[in-house]
Amino acid sequence: MSKSKMSNWGLGLAAAAVALTLSNSAFAFDTSADKSAPKVAGIGMNITDAAIKPWNISYFYDGTNLPDGSGTVSAGEKIYSAQCAMCHGDFGEGAHGYPKMVGDPVDQFEASAKAGVDAVSNRGLNNNWGNAPTLMDMIHRHMPFYAPGTLTADEAYSVTCYVMNLASIPGVGDDFVCDKTSLPKIKMPAEPLYVTNSGPDTDNTRCMKDCYKGTEFVVEKAAAIGDVSVGKVQKKDTQ
Amino acid sequence: MSENMINPVPEGANKAGVASSDRRKFLRKSVALAAGGAAIAATTSANAADGLNTWTTPLKNEPTRHMLGRGVVSVPYGLPSKYEAGVVRRNVGWLTADTIASISFTPWQDLHGIITPNGLHFERYHAGAVDVDPEKHRLVVHGMVKQPMIFTVDDLKRMPSHTAIHFLECPANGAMEWRGVQMDSLQFTHGMMSCSEWTGVKLTTLMEMVGVDPKATWFYGEGTDGSALQRSIPMEGAHDQHGKPIPALYTSHYRDAMVCYAMNGEALRPENGYPIRLFVPGFEANVSTKYLRRLMFVDKPLVTYQETKHYIEVLPNGMIRQYNLVNEANSVITSPCPDFKMNGKGTYEIRGIAWSGYGKIKHVDVSIDGGKNWTEANLVEPVLSKCLTKFTLPFQWDGSEHLIMSRATDETGYVQPTLKQLREVRGFNSIYHKNSIQVWKIEKTGEVKNVQIENV
Repeated sequence: MSKSKMSNWGLGLAAAAVALTLSNSAFAFDTSADKSAPKVAGIGMNITDAAIKPWNISYFYDGTNLPDGSGTVSAGEKIYSAQCAMCHGDFGEGAHGYPKMVGDPVDQFEASAKAGVDAVSNRGLNNNWGNAPTLMDMIHRHMPFYAPGTLTADEAYSVTCYVMNLASIPGVGDDFVCDKTSLPKIKMPAEPLYVTNSGPDTDNTRCMKDCYKGTEFVVEKAAAIGDVSVGKVQKKDTQ
Repeated sequence: MSENMINPVPEGANKAGVASSDRRKFLRKSVALAAGGAAIAATTSANAADGLNTWTTPLKNEPTRHMLGRGVVSVPYGLPSKYEAGVVRRNVGWLTADTIASISFTPWQDLHGIITPNGLHFERYHAGAVDVDPEKHRLVVHGMVKQPMIFTVDDLKRMPSHTAIHFLECPANGAMEWRGVQMDSLQFTHGMMSCSEWTGVKLTTLMEMVGVDPKATWFYGEGTDGSALQRSIPMEGAHDQHGKPIPALYTSHYRDAMVCYAMNGEALRPENGYPIRLFVPGFEANVSTKYLRRLMFVDKPLVTYQETKHYIEVLPNGMIRQYNLVNEANSVITSPCPDFKMNGKGTYEIRGIAWSGYGKIKHVDVSIDGGKNWTEANLVEPVLSKCLTKFTLPFQWDGSEHLIMSRATDETGYVQPTLKQLREVRGFNSIYHKNSIQVWKIEKTGEVKNVQIENV
């Protein structure tokens, strides 16, 4: 290494040492720099509710915070045909792997679940949605999928109205008008089925020896599903 | 003989510095595994080194021995070796309608520790990954608070910081296996999960700053991506929409929550919510809103799309279970696994990972005989709360068939269930939170298969 390069290294170290000394002494006199987590001060800004309003777009299950405006089934049909049917199907039956709007009637859904033959593809607004206001929330927030959040409140109310009509939600006839007063009154068919998790529901024990007698019934993959093999075979060393 | 066969103690282990207590532990496990492995066919040789071929050809230099390598910063942001090109995230085409509202999987079969490299962290988007400008991005904290506030990303970085290592797991991890065996690959059975060192501001710091009303019992985060994803998170005293209390088991996790700007020491990746995301350790990953723009404190749940249609479980009694938020104790053997074939008879180390959304892992037990007999595995430090814990156990493969599996117990005493136990209470349509014991079958050919034991 040349002499000049060495002295560059040396100078760098000296400068770093000076900086360290300075910061140490500054720290020693800074009485706020203790470990007891003082109140955070001087960071951020206060903000008014009016300034937040454009972002305050969550509509609760009970209708809290639903926006002004309204929509009809017929207006919703036009929007749905143009912007929604290509993914959710002309009759709400789903398309290209996207969710259906209309599933089995709720009693049939319940029977399928009890028989162990329910599938995600059976689930729709009429058997797997608890509250109408959150349907409005989903549509206004996230739809249409390729241009989320672009519907006006009136348009979102209309699409909400139309898909509930498609799914034969009781009370949502052809003349139904959706707004912040009418949506909370809708009784969604599946609402009584919802139950909150109450905690761990299995009780395995730490058995260590002779945990069962007899033969285990071992099930292997029935058929290959697509190309999902990612492994490589490790090879024995050869010369 | 059987002790040596199953688990040979290295000669001179004490001389090599292995503490005698460690050695005793090692021996005890060896004996236990030998007892547990009674079904293993005996071999005539007690020495695994028997039968090795001998290398006689004079060694040659590799090409790299006679050339200059690359200079510094030729790769300014370092990349893995070109020979590791197969270690990547993968998705399953038929699982989702597109790659925008979809998921990819972490290749756990190729990882050796508890930390997921940032480029291999699984992805889950509801409306695709977006590039949010950190200069323009803002976080609003409002609702039932004394003073609503707005923060820049730099504001958050200036606040007292919090760093912790935690796992993050999609509740759909393992979902494809509820009805039967589908994926002959660890990446696809357990890859919707990661573990990282997270850095950010504790939620409680922000709560103090805005003065959250003690009457607030829920809060939610919202992202600035197309899905504007929002999930209700319970706090003490939370009740569901029917007025039923949320169990206390789920109302204190928020105290560990943070607004993160860094993972594994560097800025979040766009795939994981850059510039900031909410992170609630132990809870299913979708509550940890990416691209976080808003936190609102309230006194009731939203019952969003995610909470009424998506992340719910249809139970065998026909009811729809909601707010199953914690990822309960789980574990999986990462080696051997179906992604690799066994490489001949002899010594292996059974390795795996275990985790629990309720706290620390207390024990991991391993069985090589289909769950008839179990041996406690070694837990590799660190053992942290709501974090992956690595486990190991020596294994001597004699070339016979084995059903290998691991079973985690967490510090609350919860024991990871069998698939049979889980199906008895959840049926086949639960989709989410499939934390049952994973069984791999080692074939005589050395192939390793994903299998399910249905009756025990």
